Amino acid sequence: MKKALSLFMMIMLVFGVLAACGPNREEGTSTEKETENNAGEEPAKPEKLVVWEDTDKEVALEPAIEAFEKEYGIKVEYKTLGMADKIRDQLRLDGPAGNAPDVVTLPHDQIGQVVVEGLISEIEVNQDVLDTFTESSVSAQMYDGKLYGLPKATETPVFIYNKALMEKAPATFDELYTFSKDFTKGDNYGFLALWDNYYFAHGIMGGNGAYVFKDENGALNREDIGLNNEGAVTGAEYIQQWYKEGLFPKGIIGESGGSAMDGLFNEGKVASVMNGPWAFQAMKDAGIDYGVAPLPTLPNGENVKTFMGVKGWHVTAFTENQYWATKLVEFLTNEESAKTRFETTGEIPPVKTLIEDPIIAENEAAKAVAVQSSYAIPMPNIPEMAEVWSPMASALQQIATQKSEPKAALDSAVDTIKKQIETNHAK
Amino acid sequence: MEAEKVITTKHARNSTLLSIVPGMGQIYNRQFLKGIIFLVLAASFGIVFGDILNMGFWGLFTLGEIPKVDHSIFLLIDGIIALIVTVLGLGVYAFNLYDAHSNGKKRDLGLHLNSVREQYHNLIDGGFPYLMISPGFLLLIFVVIFPIIFVILLAFTNYDLYHSPPAKLVDWIGIQNFIDIFKIDIWRNTFFKVLGWTIVWTFGATTFQIALGMFLAIVVNQKDLKGKAIIRTILILPWAVPAFVSIMIFSGMFNETFGAVNKMILPALGLEAQPWMTEANWTRLALILIQGWLGFPFIFAMVTGVLQSIPEDLYEAATVDGASIWQKFTKITLPLVLFATAPIMITQYTFNFNNFNVIFLFNNGGPAVPGQTAWGTDILISWIYRLTMTSAQYGKAAAITMILSVIIIAVALWQFRKTKSFQEEDMM
Repeated sequence: MKKALSLFMMIMLVFGVLAACGPNREEGTSTEKETENNAGEEPAKPEKLVVWEDTDKEVALEPAIEAFEKEYGIKVEYKTLGMADKIRDQLRLDGPAGNAPDVVTLPHDQIGQVVVEGLISEIEVNQDVLDTFTESSVSAQMYDGKLYGLPKATETPVFIYNKALMEKAPATFDELYTFSKDFTKGDNYGFLALWDNYYFAHGIMGGNGAYVFKDENGALNREDIGLNNEGAVTGAEYIQQWYKEGLFPKGIIGESGGSAMDGLFNEGKVASVMNGPWAFQAMKDAGIDYGVAPLPTLPNGENVKTFMGVKGWHVTAFTENQYWATKLVEFLTNEESAKTRFETTGEIPPVKTLIEDPIIAENEAAKAVAVQSSYAIPMPNIPEMAEVWSPMASALQQIATQKSEPKAALDSAVDTIKKQIETNHAK
Repeated sequence: MEAEKVITTKHARNSTLLSIVPGMGQIYNRQFLKGIIFLVLAASFGIVFGDILNMGFWGLFTLGEIPKVDHSIFLLIDGIIALIVTVLGLGVYAFNLYDAHSNGKKRDLGLHLNSVREQYHNLIDGGFPYLMISPGFLLLIFVVIFPIIFVILLAFTNYDLYHSPPAKLVDWIGIQNFIDIFKIDIWRNTFFKVLGWTIVWTFGATTFQIALGMFLAIVVNQKDLKGKAIIRTILILPWAVPAFVSIMIFSGMFNETFGAVNKMILPALGLEAQPWMTEANWTRLALILIQGWLGFPFIFAMVTGVLQSIPEDLYEAATVDGASIWQKFTKITLPLVLFATAPIMITQYTFNFNNFNVIFLFNNGGPAVPGQTAWGTDILISWIYRLTMTSAQYGKAAAITMILSVIIIAVALWQFRKTKSFQEEDMM
């Protein structure tokens, strides 16, 4: 009887709890902010704004927020967190918990994801502000046709060569090919690139006419994938040629390929590589006298359309000071702040006037990145992009190891990508 | 016959019924202090946890109603806390009923009830072990049980990128995730391929490391072997190097063009260079060899210990009876070693089943394989990692985690029950 009784009690308890359930919500207290729509009028200034900056980049931020404080009298506090994933992960937790910052920095390829999750909000800035940036860097900050931030810095792979082994950067890939044919012997290589990784391979395939998602007026169409079109196949065939003729060793294929390639270059065994600005420091440390140039033109005369990464400043969805946070974002990306940023951290801001400024125009590495960026296209920032990397890596690996024909490998990759988008991104 | 004395009172029933309001039964039994303590406990439970329980259960059932205001995952967590608090509360409540009933019964039988002082001593003496384990136990609830419940519940939600708070709400979808894993082609194909390799990997790698460790231990344990100490030290060394360092070095050594394996070792043996990193089956072989290297020293050390405790006279007796070396091994050494170490051997299998490090660090689950979401050497756990990190399929990843746990628990239980180590008999 005892058992039946306690069971009965338990049920009673559960029902009792459920009946009285739920939060007390007063009508109309939805947290929709009574937005500052009073046109022309500035909303009240907050006491302070909070910014999350990338680690080790605070030297560029400090002068800018000092100037902002002086101009508007709003205190700005900052905290540094790893930009690659820490800021996003922390924002997921701190945002809903009420400790969110007002402004954060993010790599642009995360924009789609954080917008879908509701972590950052759309911003409105005047056209003349947008006009100060290069067009492609602004388009990187757009998702679904709406603007979600302003660009802070860009980076893209460039052509890096060892001055001891190569006099000057070749103008065309044909030249490079001949040089490489001649130079590659034993452990020495004329030119190396990680073309089994789609991040790098896109430059070649894109230059031949491939695209990941069709751009339709600032919104990417996920149904239209151009990774197995004619241009893509031509590009892939060109990629395969380098592997097939032994110009690229099998040892740089796969996950550990990058470290193998960096190791060879820093030992002085490789005349030139395709790599990003992030590789400069290690080369300097290894004592290599390197030169940097935009990538040579492709056999069809086109420039290499590398993927560009754009770091940006964004207003979080949790801020109560949308207006002033946007002002701060504008301020952090204006010409003066951008210049300080380049001087202190070497990051290259996509500000038009700055690119022509002597401090960048006369800096070989910065100029090369800036010029290559003007050919580059921003990596797609929609969440569906996550499904592209792995199948494309499969296909490119098959192509590089000559296990399958470019056309067949790419067809199968696109098929997988489409299936995965269908299953993982059903809206 | 005192025991057959007719019971005329109904204290047991009355006090139990009264205890539905905690403490009343005790008061009825004239144990006032205890009764008041129960009453105060119950009241404070209600006051302190009332809100948590209310919000928690509401959140657990609805997972929120208004996007951007309700955060489904936080509500789920609150709900689990409410659930745990409820279970603890019900435990105390059940104890209250039980106590009232047993004391009532004592009264019915005309037995003496404990005085306050005696109750206190009872509590201190009998309750002491419980008191001592309770901090650890509470910690265990939140560190181990809480995440387990979280994963289990997550497996029944549609939590993915497009149902991510704060923008959207997460909903209960029953067993849809499990259905999808087995119904949608790309998932099913991947799941069974990965499961197949996971099983091969578990048995291949673990059996190899156990066999190698055991073989070396027996060889080194031979009586007339000189320099045992130095040999043992050297054989233990792979264990002393942090595994991830070894794995990274192996990853470099197996590089197809520049690695020592293809450049020096295989040519020295007159063999051809192999595509270790780009051909799934070669990568698999390399992984099993590496895991053998990483895993054997532990088995070696353990088996050495056991071997030294086997009494010499067993072998002498066997020799007298004319047993061959093989017979001595299979009839004496092996059973005794397995008897002592079987539980640990089994944990080696379960460890490798979930051995994320070696798979991930060696070649990141590669090489890539067309037509599936996992790569060539992905085992279930690294596939789950890939799913959560690249595709943000949290609900499905949780569902696969559950399937994986069920497999491990089932196999481990079955093996544990079969080994003699857990049966309380003597071997020798």
